[in-house]
Amino acid sequence: MTDDAIVRIRGLTTVLNGKTIFDNLDLDIPRGKVTAIMGPSGTGKTTLLKHITGQMRGDAGTIEVDGQNVPSLSREKLFELRERIGYLFQNSALLTDFDVFENVAFPLRQHTALPEELIRNIVLNKLEAVGLRGAARLSPTELSGGMARRVALARAIVFDPALILYDEPFVGLDPISLNQVLLLIRTLNHTLGITSVLVAHELAAVQKVADHVYLIANGKVVAQGAPATLASDGSPWTAQFFGGKIDGPVPFQYPAGDYATALGFPGGKA
Amino acid sequence: MTTARNDNVVVRSLTQIGACGIFLLTILAAIPRSFRHGRETIRQIWFVGAMSLTIVMTCGLFVGMVLGLQLYDVLSIFGGTSATGTVVAIAIYRELGPVVTALLFAGRAGTSVTAEIGLMRATDQLDAMEMMAVDPIAYVIAPRFLAGVVALPLLAVVFCAMGVFGGHLVGVTWLGIDNGTFWSNMTATVDVHKDIIDGVLLKSIAFGIVVSLIAVFQGYTTPPTSEGVAYATTRTVVASSIAILALDFVLTSFLI
Repeated sequence: MTDDAIVRIRGLTTVLNGKTIFDNLDLDIPRGKVTAIMGPSGTGKTTLLKHITGQMRGDAGTIEVDGQNVPSLSREKLFELRERIGYLFQNSALLTDFDVFENVAFPLRQHTALPEELIRNIVLNKLEAVGLRGAARLSPTELSGGMARRVALARAIVFDPALILYDEPFVGLDPISLNQVLLLIRTLNHTLGITSVLVAHELAAVQKVADHVYLIANGKVVAQGAPATLASDGSPWTAQFFGGKIDGPVPFQYPAGDYATALGFPGGKA
Repeated sequence: MTTARNDNVVVRSLTQIGACGIFLLTILAAIPRSFRHGRETIRQIWFVGAMSLTIVMTCGLFVGMVLGLQLYDVLSIFGGTSATGTVVAIAIYRELGPVVTALLFAGRAGTSVTAEIGLMRATDQLDAMEMMAVDPIAYVIAPRFLAGVVALPLLAVVFCAMGVFGGHLVGVTWLGIDNGTFWSNMTATVDVHKDIIDGVLLKSIAFGIVVSLIAVFQGYTTPPTSEGVAYATTRTVVASSIAILALDFVLTSFLI
């Protein structure tokens, strides 16, 4: 466990619709580092981010962000905390009423009384960082998936938050944009000391950018460590996940009854 | 089995009504905070009000024309065609104006508000606002609710004006009722308090609250799927229509 953790999760247990998503989960996000959270699909990685931001609450356990226990915060306190957190949504979640510029400017307009010229400079600076300054007046409907993701990234970093949560930041990016986003995450981390949490599946990208990786499966942390060494640590979890094997501790099939019985063949297991 | 299913329907309906009531209180609490998004409220008044003008004016004109024609036909049996203007005006002011405008408003503006909010829910835009520490109730819901409450009475007034004009068009211009008789009988009989303030304004403000509440509630609570949004828009029309007609009876029984 990390001494200087910006996020400290202890004993998190969450059951959704009868399915245990987290089972007494302990996890620390070290301050000023890039941490990747990986795991099989449906294992609760996005749900974990939603717990950190207070969008969802678990059935038991504590989630401390910068020393504040998120589940016990009032709505006002939670909003104060969220002003210091950037969040990149899986589907970008751009506001369709606004163009690209106004989407990035939205948090500034809502929470500050900055002069228009300064807002313009900040927004153009962030858009330049994601390579979309020229797209400032496009509507979200005119953007490709990758472009929308980069606009959402510019919006997430517009306040230079203390903590940024990236939900699948590499999906839909071409190799050039991918490298640009990796560089951006690294730069934000190195120059501003922003703590980053990535939920991602792309091991190669994670190895380039992350300082620490958590592998989550069956509601628990099953492996963790530096990305360079984790894939070869000899654990059956990492061997299956990073090796892409169908057989292993993580079942490929969603729990179901006997296949032969389902197809109506005689002699199937009851 | 049937009883259990009926119980479920009753419990579900009561739960929905209770949730809707709590949602109304949440909106009312957020209205002072929504004043800092005044431009958004004005934009919504334009969208649900001004953009509904064409349908409201057209329908108002035709309702007035049909009413004039039918009443002339019936009143001519008793030799009372001079009362056509009076009856057209009272029918429109007391009932048809606020009720038909509210039904049109539910179909034209209520559904689009529900669909818009539902799609914002489905595409995580409301969650994104929450994550940017912007309260979606104050920024999205309250302005749309206020816009409906402000726009519907104004639209009802326009509907009534067009309805009376339609009655005049048929009764005076087409069927030959004396112009002076048409207007003088109407102005002598119509009571400003009972027919205009209670009939048009009070009712349409009440309908504005109900329709806007149903529209934003259905949008905000819709499951984030295309099917969910489709059902939510349908529910807005069905629930609004029933609520308008039921509330109309209740209000009329108190006001008459």
